[in-house]
Amino acid sequence: MSDPRGDPLARRAAEVLRREQTDERAIERVMAALRERANGDAPEDVDVDHVTPSVAEPAIPAAGRFSLTTWPALAAAAVIFAIGLGVGAAFLAPRETRAINADGATREAAPVSEAANAAGGQSQLVEFVLVAPRAARVSLVGEFNGWDASATPMRHAERGDGTWSVSVPLGAGRHVYAFVIDNSTWVPDPQAPLAPEQWYGERNSVVVVSGGPRS
Amino acid sequence: MTDAILQARAAEGDVEAYSVLVRRYYSMCSRIAQRMLRDPEDAEDAVQDTFLRAFRALPRFDHRKVFRAWLLRILINQCRTHALKRRRRERRLPRDEIALRDTPSSDGNGASAMGHDERERVVAAVEALEPLLREAFLLKYVEELEYKEMAEITGASISALKMRVKRACEALRPRLEAIYHE
Repeated sequence: MSDPRGDPLARRAAEVLRREQTDERAIERVMAALRERANGDAPEDVDVDHVTPSVAEPAIPAAGRFSLTTWPALAAAAVIFAIGLGVGAAFLAPRETRAINADGATREAAPVSEAANAAGGQSQLVEFVLVAPRAARVSLVGEFNGWDASATPMRHAERGDGTWSVSVPLGAGRHVYAFVIDNSTWVPDPQAPLAPEQWYGERNSVVVVSGGPRS
Repeated sequence: MTDAILQARAAEGDVEAYSVLVRRYYSMCSRIAQRMLRDPEDAEDAVQDTFLRAFRALPRFDHRKVFRAWLLRILINQCRTHALKRRRRERRLPRDEIALRDTPSSDGNGASAMGHDERERVVAAVEALEPLLREAFLLKYVEELEYKEMAEITGASISALKMRVKRACEALRPRLEAIYHE
């Protein structure tokens, strides 16, 4: 039975962290800076009402403007099968994949705008593929499953070449994702473009699903 | 005096009223920034920037909202921005310099406890968490905020935050067990 007040060890650690002495001199430095500016500068237009990383917008087209078929750079390991309305399959990349770049480890990223995914409203089945021969378990995480490593486990190919794959329906738009190996190591897709650095500088991959069928 | 009264006065330029808010929330902001940025100087810069930006923005602050959540949202943004800037800076540093800076004994205390001290070991365990897990853990466990307020501060959904806190606790468990059960 779990403790309703949370994890007992974590609570104990938190108590230790709360015992931090306030640095009075640091407070004085803040106040000195405030007084200095209050006496001089006019108020600046400070945007503090949005939780946004202070990084440039991604150099990735807006949702629906490009399809993967017209943007080979995005082909990567994500293979899209269009479904619904009789849309034919659009294979966007060869399925062979490369070994994981150990230096490419990434961490959880904060969700990006969900508005980007709202366009279109038509789901397409996107197959994600990763070669990880030494992994015992691989899962797909992204904003579409709440970055939950248990939500979308990937299947190990029976042919034994270390290929893991899973297909998930995604709406039109831009989707940020990563792979989780053995429940602990987060890596971006070595064959997909990286999303721009966000939040604490973590990198994830990005795939853009087009808004509709292309002939 | 309540936050609402103080923030209303501060919005009209009353620096002394604002100084009460600074004293009220400095420790909380400092705790979060220190653990998130893992560097006292960066943390102090982020906290100072937070209070300065908040003061300048107060005239436009919607006073029906909760001051603390608004302030912490600015702080979280500042921490994220400082971390990103530092990461970019570090790319230009030779790896050895980064390794030296991040070595526990390089903090100027000479023969530091090398993790034998409970507090240092707890700090090391928490600071080893992935940043977004650490952020969620600090807000939930150390600052004891409700998930609703955390969502407002971080911009993440409540379900995502619960998942991050759960993952943070799971990741911490082996290290905390080593500290408390050995």
